[in-house]
Amino acid sequence: MPIINFFIYLLTMVGIYGLLAMSLNFQVGFAGLINFGQVAFFCIGAYTSSLLATKVGIPLPFCFAGGMVISGLFGYLMSIPTRSLKSDYWAIATLATAEVIRLIALNEGWLTGGPFGVMTIPQPFQFLFSRDSYPLFYLVLVLICVLLIYFALSLLSDSPFGRDVKAIRDDEELCLSLGKNTRQIKLQAMVVAGMVGGLAGALFAHYITFISPENFRPIETFLMWAMIIVGGRGNHAGAILGAVIIQLFNVSTRFIGEYVSLSPDVMASLRMLIIGLLIILFISYRPEGLIKEKKKVYYLKRRDGE
Amino acid sequence: MEFSQIIVNSLIRGSELSLLAIGLTMVFDILKFSNFAHADYAVLGAFLAYTFNQVFGINLLIAIVLAALFTGLFGIAIDRILFKRLRVIGANPVSLMIISMGIEIALRNMLRLIWTSEIKTYAIAIRKPFEILGARITPLQIKIVLVGFLSMVAFHILLHKTKFGKSLRAISDNRVLASACAIDSEKMITWMWFLACAYGVIGGTMIAMEHVLYPRLGFDILIPVFCATILGGIGNPYGAMVGALILAFAENIVLALDLSWLINLGGFFNVHSIQISTGYKPAISFVMLIIILLWKPTGILRKK
Amino acid sequence: MLKIKDLQKNFGSLRALDRVSLEVEGDSIFGLIGPNGSGKTTLFNVVSGFYEKDGGEILFKGERVDGLTPDGIARKGLCRTFQIAKAPEKLTVLENMMLAAKEQRGENPFSALFTRRRTARVERENLDRAMELLEVLQLVDLKNEYAGDLSGGQKKLLSLGRVFMLQPDMILLDEPTAGVNPTLTMQLMKAIKELQQREHKSVFIIEHSMKVISSICDKVYVLNFGKKMAEGTPAEIQKNEKVLEAYLGGA
Repeated sequence: MPIINFFIYLLTMVGIYGLLAMSLNFQVGFAGLINFGQVAFFCIGAYTSSLLATKVGIPLPFCFAGGMVISGLFGYLMSIPTRSLKSDYWAIATLATAEVIRLIALNEGWLTGGPFGVMTIPQPFQFLFSRDSYPLFYLVLVLICVLLIYFALSLLSDSPFGRDVKAIRDDEELCLSLGKNTRQIKLQAMVVAGMVGGLAGALFAHYITFISPENFRPIETFLMWAMIIVGGRGNHAGAILGAVIIQLFNVSTRFIGEYVSLSPDVMASLRMLIIGLLIILFISYRPEGLIKEKKKVYYLKRRDGE
Repeated sequence: MEFSQIIVNSLIRGSELSLLAIGLTMVFDILKFSNFAHADYAVLGAFLAYTFNQVFGINLLIAIVLAALFTGLFGIAIDRILFKRLRVIGANPVSLMIISMGIEIALRNMLRLIWTSEIKTYAIAIRKPFEILGARITPLQIKIVLVGFLSMVAFHILLHKTKFGKSLRAISDNRVLASACAIDSEKMITWMWFLACAYGVIGGTMIAMEHVLYPRLGFDILIPVFCATILGGIGNPYGAMVGALILAFAENIVLALDLSWLINLGGFFNVHSIQISTGYKPAISFVMLIIILLWKPTGILRKK
Repeated sequence: MLKIKDLQKNFGSLRALDRVSLEVEGDSIFGLIGPNGSGKTTLFNVVSGFYEKDGGEILFKGERVDGLTPDGIARKGLCRTFQIAKAPEKLTVLENMMLAAKEQRGENPFSALFTRRRTARVERENLDRAMELLEVLQLVDLKNEYAGDLSGGQKKLLSLGRVFMLQPDMILLDEPTAGVNPTLTMQLMKAIKELQQREHKSVFIIEHSMKVISSICDKVYVLNFGKKMAEGTPAEIQKNEKVLEAYLGGA
């Protein structure tokens, strides 16, 4: 039944982008790090995992892990200039870096297959399921990952580490005066975010079974930004909501194109035009997004035992 | 490639980029945020100029002037509707930057809707290029360099010999003090946007005439323009020009470099020729930008 | 406890600090006064590591601390507040206090995820201490309010609370009563004195109000044009001719 398959595909992509949105949100909404190169984590995770699987042939769990580790490492590298660069300079640098990564993937054919990308990427537990039921299994796999990451990130953001991260976002100078090693904390935040982004990339690669530099253009970063701006920064549920909304919009307008007599090119332009307008409108009139950041409230028993 | 050709190519590309970099550096300096949509304003104007000239047959100069007018008004409108509100309440410049990102996406796709993704070219008669000291340069390219140079001169005159220019410099140096001297910031900002867009349109049209015009052009030249701006130092229009030239030079020379001498140094290898693949041409400005941001984000030229 | 020798800080040709030397002892409250622009906050900024010095030495508990990062200096036990009280917008008052707590667990991702029980225990202990301090500062009712929503005076109190959570050996207070109404000023002074006597810290306080200085300081230094002009007890300073001239005749 094609409708069911479509929904399974849609939900799987929502899940993958949900991970990416949560990763970006952790950087932007929690740490205040304006990353315009988020797609780089996606790209590195996808390529690392798929190349490990196709060229080196190690078991798939290690490929996924490898994708996460290398992405996390890249997060570490990206965090190094944050001490010395103002936020908008760093943002531009991340944009440039992500594009350089993509160009390397495009040009170094001996490693990445160049414009032809990586093909016939193996899928985990493929042998256990029939061709028809496999997508459902993969959806469950993605959703489990989303849930795990959601809980892990929630634990992190509620912990003293999360408190430090938010404090750095709001006032880094204060944190320094309180003895916090802000560079290290930002580094850790970027590594965590990188790993989550890398996981998303690996899940994507092994789902689609074929990736190329075309999948990792800057437009992807902007889509993720739209997700966290619309859904709400500073909280993980907002990131997922944003992913749902934007992906639904994205995918459904592809569908409508079949019924309305507009060319795919026009549909694509309209789609992105609306995304741009959404970003503008939300930042201008509802900067917190749809789901606001929650206040951390301490409930304490009164001292006299009331 | 002859070294003189590299110089000539750098002059041409540098002239094109500098026209955009001037506008960007002004906005960056006076409004304190990086306008991601700047290059797209320029491309909007380039599309308008193209339509006026190539479709409606209007004289090129008039077409450019009209396009600059429209785009200038457009830039002012965007500022009034979107940026001014947040500026007045003292919002974080990062929010402005994110809005400009939204504008970039929306504007680029609006261009795609109106003019389609089809590549546009100017119908320019093919003439035999001149040869100067071993380098080839076409009449169009000579005009481009000339326009770039004259525009810089005009800007210099504007900045130093007019009241507007004095006010602009005052605001750039110290906004609070300037308003205390009864300089109407908002009016100046309006004119600044107009100027930035107008210059951008000229630059964008030059690029369109020398190469091709397509909706993604804005995004493609965004990073090179940013690189030139930051190289030259924010707020320094002369620096923007120098930065553009340096960047153009770097782009051209890196590709012409043959790195095999490096590899052959130890005498262990005998590689014939190693060059950086042309697929990396866009990456040169990106890498330069990253290097400059890490090494000297205030730019290599001091602010005037 | 804090020894400053010939400290120099220039801004271009301006000598903000001109070979300043002074000493602050432990378990006491010292004051730093001077006309506007005399270099008081600059001194704090250099000592706490936020500005780089151009010359001289800073010794804290016998160790050289000039050249360390601001957070490194804070970790050594030398902490400061800011002239314009800092209040992170999206952190509550209690979160602010907990943020400043000296001993914390779970401040990195690994321990946050895998040592949750120990982290929770330390958090509870810090919570108790934070509540105690909030009671002294009379901020308890605001404990779950965003710091950004507090009034100016309340933010100053919060700064004080934060810096005491750090359990530092020495505190640099930069104009803790600036912009604060007289009643609150009394409250602040009382709190500082009480806390200092309880915890036996060393406090170095920049102030404009002679009333405040004379009510709590054991000794006072006077800065003028980046140079140390005078030193002594509050009573001595108030009679010092040069000081009077600087305040009345100068700025």
